[in-house]
Amino acid sequence: MEFVPIANAAINGAVVGLLLALPALAVTLVFGIARFPNAATGDYMTFGAYTAVAAQAALSAPLIVSAAAASLATALLALFFYGWVFRALASRSPVASLIVSIGIAFVVRSSITFFAGQSQYNIDAPLVRAWNFNGIRVLPTDLYIAGAALTALAAVFAMLHFTALGRRMRAVADNPELARASGISARRVMITLFTIVGLFCGLGGFLLGMKAVVIPELGWELLLPIFASVILGGIGSPLGAVCGMILFGISQEVASLYVGSSYKIVLAFLVILCVLLVRPQGMFGTIRAVR
Amino acid sequence: MSGYLVANRRQFGKLAAGLALSTALPGLGVAATGEPFKLGALNSITGAGGVYGPGMLEAIQIAVAEVNNAGGAAGRPFQVFAEDDQTKPDAAVLAVKKLVDITRVEAVVGIWSSSVQLATLPITNAAEILSLNTCGAPEIETEDKLDLVWQFYASNAIIGRAFAQIARARGFKRPGILAYNNSTMLAQANYFKKAWEDGGGEIAEFVVYEPNQTSYRTELDRVLSKNPDIVSLSSYSPDVTILLKEWYQTGQECKFIAPGYSVTQAVGDTLGPDITSGIITVSNVPASANEAYQVFVDAFKAKTGREPEMFAAAAYDMVITLALAMELAGPDAKSPEIASKIRSVTNAPGTKVSTFVEGRDLIKKGEEIDYEGASSSLEFGSFGNTTPDFGVFEFVDGKVVLKDVMKLEA
Repeated sequence: MEFVPIANAAINGAVVGLLLALPALAVTLVFGIARFPNAATGDYMTFGAYTAVAAQAALSAPLIVSAAAASLATALLALFFYGWVFRALASRSPVASLIVSIGIAFVVRSSITFFAGQSQYNIDAPLVRAWNFNGIRVLPTDLYIAGAALTALAAVFAMLHFTALGRRMRAVADNPELARASGISARRVMITLFTIVGLFCGLGGFLLGMKAVVIPELGWELLLPIFASVILGGIGSPLGAVCGMILFGISQEVASLYVGSSYKIVLAFLVILCVLLVRPQGMFGTIRAVR
Repeated sequence: MSGYLVANRRQFGKLAAGLALSTALPGLGVAATGEPFKLGALNSITGAGGVYGPGMLEAIQIAVAEVNNAGGAAGRPFQVFAEDDQTKPDAAVLAVKKLVDITRVEAVVGIWSSSVQLATLPITNAAEILSLNTCGAPEIETEDKLDLVWQFYASNAIIGRAFAQIARARGFKRPGILAYNNSTMLAQANYFKKAWEDGGGEIAEFVVYEPNQTSYRTELDRVLSKNPDIVSLSSYSPDVTILLKEWYQTGQECKFIAPGYSVTQAVGDTLGPDITSGIITVSNVPASANEAYQVFVDAFKAKTGREPEMFAAAAYDMVITLALAMELAGPDAKSPEIASKIRSVTNAPGTKVSTFVEGRDLIKKGEEIDYEGASSSLEFGSFGNTTPDFGVFEFVDGKVVLKDVMKLEA
């Protein structure tokens, strides 16, 4: 196989991976701090994409405003479900929260189809021809998408590692009891957490909608690769989620050059399997002692 | 947001209420004397087919009113029971079980999607009742061993051949193929390939893609790397939108040929004239020269204020065809006997008729008839399939325009 198609596939995979790194990071943060896998993540993205469409249709808002609207509205949605449901379940087993999050996923998706129907929508973004470097093609839109995703990821890493709030979040993730004993308010941490989750899912949904089309199954269909990449990166590790998603994206696109594209997802899972055989805790995960 | 579904649900409720009323008062025109014939209307009111389902149900209602006002088919008035299959096989199976086991309908009409027909076929065939659809998957023809399933739209085998014929007539030399991975779309792509190669041509590249992806760039790059002059797309609206967006951004010159139900005007409006310029789409066209088409269009417009879709014309023909076959089979006939008369009332030879009343009167006189429908002239082949005329459409300045109407070469 020549170099050019592989490079193109890798670029494409990296862009898809970066984009999906936003929800992957949301999943891993919720898992690390609130300690349950949030199955509503995909549908939060869908909600964000529909908000962007609505903002464009109703207010003919420019792209950046509709992106902001998508992020903020999804943050409110995530906070609403935290306040209404997840907060009450915090003391119960993670299974309760997991099952409820599946229920929330259905509620969000069904509400969207009730008001918007099954037909597809589109986020209006100017389409620009790709830059061609001797056959290696780079789409300007993809660069914007990657840039937006990278900025958001950098912001959350900076927040986690250089602010007091981030330290408190990491403290809760590390040991909730100790954090409480040290006077850290779990509630404030959770509110911050779900705000970030909403902002990221909303932005991710917007970017995804810009690249693809906005349909009710937009986010739900991607839940499996997102979860897989979180496991690949090491559950609870933000850096791992991002790297895992990018590795997953690149391996599935490159794989589709060698096998029929119907099997590209299978091959991506094979890569995950190989990594986990060598590092069962994931790329950036740590082994926790079982007591 | 258009509030599309809300409108559909309301419309569905109104339609269902209208149907209940029309069946409660049978034979306002001529009194029907026989036992009512229970007819199941299994339509895609919501889901991917939600664009077409409501119109098809309207059309069924119009045809039923026409038959009932004339005193019913073989004296039996139609009584309609409508269900929404949500364009999903699982929902369709539940709906058809209700129709068959509880309501005990004697025929099902108005099925739009192949996946719905393939899922419900074992149930309707086991109950030995008729199933009339607008599907395209060629398996339907071979799965139906009892000759109870009838296709009022071209099979994908035929659409694939039509694509090849059109591409060749327009001077294309190196077609590439992109196909969505399901039985319907793969069949269309495979028949295109076969027809092209049988004609002595060569396919540049054949790529099958998995649905529900964020991006199809790698698959698209694979096809475009062989520099095809035209790409045959076997896709649905959501993925075709993503594919065409991505293709435009690559900057590579190439034309596309696609089914008319996937690259619709709505998709064209989304993508804009720059991208759509030069896309060829192919659809079955209604038999606008037939009198039945005029009768139907007038009735449809009077009722809804809209122009009917091709699928609505097919749904109308299903009911009229069924009624004529019942007339010939007699009031006590069961579904298999009625099915055995469908070719007799629609295929040549016979006096050409365009309404139920015309046909019924001739049947009563013992004459042979040939119903020329609103959707096509309805000549059913050995598998219960039809070959209608194809409209070749092109996007000009962002609008889909009919360029010519073609018949498939034998």
